[in-house]
Amino acid sequence: MRVEHVLTTCPYCGTGCRFYLQVVDNKLIGVVPCKTDEISQGRLCIKGYNAHAFVQHPDRLTHPMVRDGGHLRKATWDEALDKVVSEVKRISAEHGPDSVIVLASAKCTNEENYLFQKIARAAIGTNNVDHCARLCHASTVAGLLMSFGSGAMTNTIPEFENADCVLVTGSNTLEAHPLIGARILRAHDKGAKIVVVDPRDTPLSRLAHSSIHQQPGTDIAWINGMIKIIIDEGLHDEAFIRDRTSGFDELRKIVEPYTPEKVEEITQIPKQELIDAARTYANAEKAMIAYAMGVTQHSNGTNIVRALANLAMVTGNVGRESTGVNPLRGQCNVQGACDAGGLPDLFPGYQRVEDAEARKRFETAWGRTLPPTKGTTLTCAMKDALIGKVKAMIIFGENPMLSDPDIAHVEEAMKELEFLAVAEIFPTDTTKLADVVLPGACYAEKDGTFTSTDRAIRPLHKAVDPPGEAKPDWMIACELGKRLGAQGFDFSSPAEVLDEMARLAPIYGGISYERADAQVLRWPCPSKDHMGTPVLHIGGFKIGKGVLVPVDHAPPAEETSDEYPFILTTGRNLFHFHTGTMTRRSPKLEREAPEPYVEVNTSDAKRLGISNSDRVRVSSRRGEIALKARVTDWIMPGVIFIPFHYAEAAANRLTNPALDPVAKIPEFKVCAAQLKKA
Amino acid sequence: MNDLTKKLSEIAFEERGADLLLLMVERHGNVGPVLISKAEDPGNARTDVPYQLVTILTNILPFMGKAKVALVCRRCDEKALAELAKRGIVDDASIVKIGLACTKEQVQECRCSDCVPSKVDIGEPSEPCPEDSLATELAAMSTEDRAAFWKRQFQKCNKCFGCTVNCPVCFCDDCVLEERTYTPEEGIPPGQAFHLIRSFHLADKCVECGECERSCPADIPLLTLRKMVNRDMKDLFNYTSGDRERKSPLLTTLDDQPLEDDVHAC
Repeated sequence: MRVEHVLTTCPYCGTGCRFYLQVVDNKLIGVVPCKTDEISQGRLCIKGYNAHAFVQHPDRLTHPMVRDGGHLRKATWDEALDKVVSEVKRISAEHGPDSVIVLASAKCTNEENYLFQKIARAAIGTNNVDHCARLCHASTVAGLLMSFGSGAMTNTIPEFENADCVLVTGSNTLEAHPLIGARILRAHDKGAKIVVVDPRDTPLSRLAHSSIHQQPGTDIAWINGMIKIIIDEGLHDEAFIRDRTSGFDELRKIVEPYTPEKVEEITQIPKQELIDAARTYANAEKAMIAYAMGVTQHSNGTNIVRALANLAMVTGNVGRESTGVNPLRGQCNVQGACDAGGLPDLFPGYQRVEDAEARKRFETAWGRTLPPTKGTTLTCAMKDALIGKVKAMIIFGENPMLSDPDIAHVEEAMKELEFLAVAEIFPTDTTKLADVVLPGACYAEKDGTFTSTDRAIRPLHKAVDPPGEAKPDWMIACELGKRLGAQGFDFSSPAEVLDEMARLAPIYGGISYERADAQVLRWPCPSKDHMGTPVLHIGGFKIGKGVLVPVDHAPPAEETSDEYPFILTTGRNLFHFHTGTMTRRSPKLEREAPEPYVEVNTSDAKRLGISNSDRVRVSSRRGEIALKARVTDWIMPGVIFIPFHYAEAAANRLTNPALDPVAKIPEFKVCAAQLKKA
Repeated sequence: MNDLTKKLSEIAFEERGADLLLLMVERHGNVGPVLISKAEDPGNARTDVPYQLVTILTNILPFMGKAKVALVCRRCDEKALAELAKRGIVDDASIVKIGLACTKEQVQECRCSDCVPSKVDIGEPSEPCPEDSLATELAAMSTEDRAAFWKRQFQKCNKCFGCTVNCPVCFCDDCVLEERTYTPEEGIPPGQAFHLIRSFHLADKCVECGECERSCPADIPLLTLRKMVNRDMKDLFNYTSGDRERKSPLLTTLDDQPLEDDVHAC
C-alpha cells in the first residue's frame, strides 16, 4: 500500500489555492488544504474540498475515438492523431491555414497553452488561436493594456485584507472567488469600507457597508458619475494625475454631464448613494477595485474597464500596496492561457503578432516564417464557420456548446465545420459533434503550472495516472506538432516547455518549474535572480504615463420590449463551475445545487402569479428554456438571473452574441427576455 | 533529514515498533503531511505548522490494514484519539503516539487550557492559557446581544464545510449537515440549523483542537463557540471530552442510566 500527499493547485477559479491530494495506491481519497500557502492559508471553498471527486469518475474518456459512419468508435492513438493531421493538412492546403482555428484552454497548464499556440502558429501557420478568455476577460486584457500597459490584476490577493476601501463591482466574489471574498471579509472585519455595485444582492453585498444596485448595462454612467463627484469635490489626486497620467482634460470634459441626477436617471442608483460611494472610495488612503464578468461581459466591456482604470488613476490608487484595478480571473489558468499566447493577436508574454521585432524573435526561435496579421477570435470563428471561412477546429478542453452565447447558432456553426477535433476529459455536448475525440489528463494527472489571477505561478504535481489510454494535453500537443511536420515539439517534460516560454516571453524570463516550486513568483519576473513583482506600476507605467481614456455611456446592444420585458443576466453559483463537466459529477457539489433555476424578484413573481419552485419558461429572441423559479428579493425588479452551468436548461440558448467591438467579448450580462409560468 | 526527523523516526520505529510514521515535512517550498515507512527519508520534519494529523490519519485508516502507525500527537490529538477509540473507530493497539508539547505561541493561539500531552517526547511543556477572553466577554452579554453576535458571524459562512472536513471527531458516514431538511440547497449562508446542529452534535466529543477555526475562511471564532458549549457540558454533566474511559453522558436511557452496549453511535 502506498499513501501519498501530493501538493497541487485547485482546478476551479483563478484564485490559485493549493492543497494536498490524498492518494492511496493511485486512488484519490481526499483533499487537505496547504497551511503554508500564501494565498489559501490552509483554507478552501467547497469546490476545493471536492476537487478530487470528479477525477476518477467512471464517465472519464479513456480512449481516442473517431467518427465512422456517423458514430464515434474506439480508435488507437495513431489512427486518431493521423486523422487530425491529415484533415488539418488537407483543409489547410485547400483553403489556406486561416481556415483552421485552434482553441487553447484556460483549464490546461501554461506549458500546454504555449504548445497549443505553437501548433497554430508554427505547425499550421495561422494566428487563429483563442480560448475562453474571449468570453470572460478579453475586455480586461484590451482595456487595461491600453490604460496601464499591462492587462492583468495590478495587485495581489493577500493585499485585499489591508485595504481601507474595496469597491467590488460585477463580481459575486464570495461565490465565484470564495477565498478572495474571504480576504475582503477580513478587510471588512478590520474596519475597511466595502462598497458593492451589482444588480443582484450577493452574499458579499449583504455584509458590505454599502450595496448599490445599478440597472444592467449602465456601468459607465455610474463610474463617470463617481469621477465627476470626485473632481467636483476636489477629492482627486492632483499630483498623481499631473505626474503619472495623460488625458485628464478630456476625461474631465466627458464626465461633466454625468451629474448625480443624470446618473440616477440612467442607472436607477439613488443620487445620495452614488455621492456617498464616491466619497468613501476617494477618501480612503488605500482603495482597491475588484471586478469580474459583470463588468467585462458587455458589448462595451472594454470601455467599462477603461472607466474603472480612470477612477483608480484620478484618485491615485495605482502603483501602491492594497490599491489598483483588480480583475478577478475566473478559471484556474485563464491568466496563464493569455500569458502563454493563446490569443490571436498576441505571442506569449503579450508581444503583438503585428510587431515585426517580436515576430522576428519567434521566427528565429521556431525556425519558420510566421503570419504577420492577427488571427480570428473564438467568437468570430463561430460566425466565420457559418459562412465557410473557418473549416476546421481543434479544441483543447473547452465546451463551446454550453459556454458560448446563442447556442443554437453555435451548434449550426460547429455542424458546418468540415472537421472538428476535441481533446477532453469527459463527454460533453461539444465532443458529441466531434470527428475525433482525444482523451486528456486532468489537473491531478500531470505536472505543469497554472498562473493565478494575481500573476503567481502555481505548480501542479502529478498525483495519479490518467485513466485508460488518456494522456496529458502537452503530450498530445507534442505528438500533433511533430506529425504536422513542425520542428521544436520534442519535449520530454512540461518543465522544458516552460523553459522555452521563459526564453521568449520576457515577463516569464526568470520563471522555471524549479523556482516556482520553491517560492511564490509573480510575473513580471525577468531574470533568474528576480523575486517577481507583486504590485505593478510602482513609480511609473511601462508605457510611460497611464492613459485616461474618455469613455461615454452607451445602451446595451439589446433593450427590453413589450414582448421581452425582462433583462436577463447570467453567472455562476458557489457550487458549480462553468459547464458543470466536473462539478456536476462531484456528489457533494451536485447535492447543493442539483437543478437549474431562474432568480426573479418577489414583486415580478407576484404580478405574474409565480410562486417559489414553480416551473417557468424563459425565452429571448434566440431561444427558450424551462426551469424552476427561485423567488427572491436579492435581485432588482425587472431583472432575472440564470446560472449557466446546466445543460438541461442552458442559459446560453438565450444570451445575445452581440460583441464588444475591441475585445469581441459577447454581452452575456444583458439580454431581453420573457418569463412565463410553464 | 534534520535532527527532528531522526528523533521522530527513532521513537516511532526503533523505540515503539511502528510500521509507519505520519508527520509534517518541508516540501515544494511548503510544509505538508507525509506518511513514511522505516527506511524512507522524508526530508526535514516540522512541528510548528498545525496540521490536523488525526483527521488525515482517519481518512487513510480504512486502507491501512493491520499496520501500526505512529503520529506526532498534541494533547488535543491524544484526546481526539480517545474519543475515536471509545467509539471503536480507531484501535488503540494500532496507534503509536509521539507526544508533542505545544509552544507558548500555539497555546495562546488556541487559548488552550490543557496543553501538555501525557508523555512529552518533543518540545517543552508550556503554561496553559487560563481563559478565552472572547468567551468570557460573550458570557457576560445579554442573551440577545450574544445571539446577535453569532448571527452576524454566521452570516459570513460560505458553506465550505471546512469545519467538518478537517475536524478530527466528525466521523459520521452520512453527515446530517448534508441532509436537506436541515440545510436545504438554497445557497449561502446556510441557515441557523447548520451551526446549531454542528454545535450540539460535537458537544460530547470536541477536544478544542481549534482546527475548525483555523480552517474557516470567514474567520468565524468557532473555537470560542466550542469552548462555550464545552463549558456548559462541564457545568451540566461534569463531563470533559477526551476521556478514554468515561462514556458520553448524553448517551443514556430514559432513566438516565448509561447505555451498556458498545456504543458506536455518533
